[in-house]
Amino acid sequence: MPFREKSAWISMLSMLAIYGFYFGTLMQTTAARQPGNLASGITLVQTIVMLVVAQVALHIAVAIRKPAEAQLPRDEREKLIDLKATRIAFYGLASGVVVACLFGSLNPPVFFSTNSLLLILVTSEIVRSGAQIIYYRLGA
Amino acid sequence: MAIATISNEIRRLRFAHGEMTQQQLAEKIGLTRQTVNAIEQGKYSPSLEAAFRISAVFGQPLENVFHYSEGG
Repeated sequence: MPFREKSAWISMLSMLAIYGFYFGTLMQTTAARQPGNLASGITLVQTIVMLVVAQVALHIAVAIRKPAEAQLPRDEREKLIDLKATRIAFYGLASGVVVACLFGSLNPPVFFSTNSLLLILVTSEIVRSGAQIIYYRLGA
Repeated sequence: MAIATISNEIRRLRFAHGEMTQQQLAEKIGLTRQTVNAIEQGKYSPSLEAAFRISAVFGQPLENVFHYSEGG
């Protein structure tokens, strides 16, 4: 499996696991009727730090095994795959933002609005990584 | 509009040039081995620049390496 495809797998799986944990925790606090407190903000910061650490560590672990391949710049096919995947993710992001705007017109608490926007952003990133993997599997 | 296909002779030319590996060809033209493999299998159509670089490696004109045909 090429380095770029492994990188896409790392991005997708780490985001699924770590943001899954974050939104799971969020649902528990919401169920406990304590949304929007300081602990939620701290959990978000912890989540972002965990994601960065996990992605950097996993990328280093993969790059150590094939350092020459990891150092190569993206070639034309890999750039095209990135562009195609980003376009697909953008449609999801744009649609999600429109839905969030409609949701915002119902005057929900700021806590829900911001987290729904975060969920849309995370989902579009996961879609982007997933689309990259599919294109790598297909060849282009 | 008819569906066009681009085929190529890269695999044959690699073997005719001292059984050159995909990795060796990739290094000569500045692409990854996976991209050379995708081009060879017809899954990816290279840019004009990459096509010229591939042809130059084999010392062949472009039309001897790549074939364009319009389907019916």
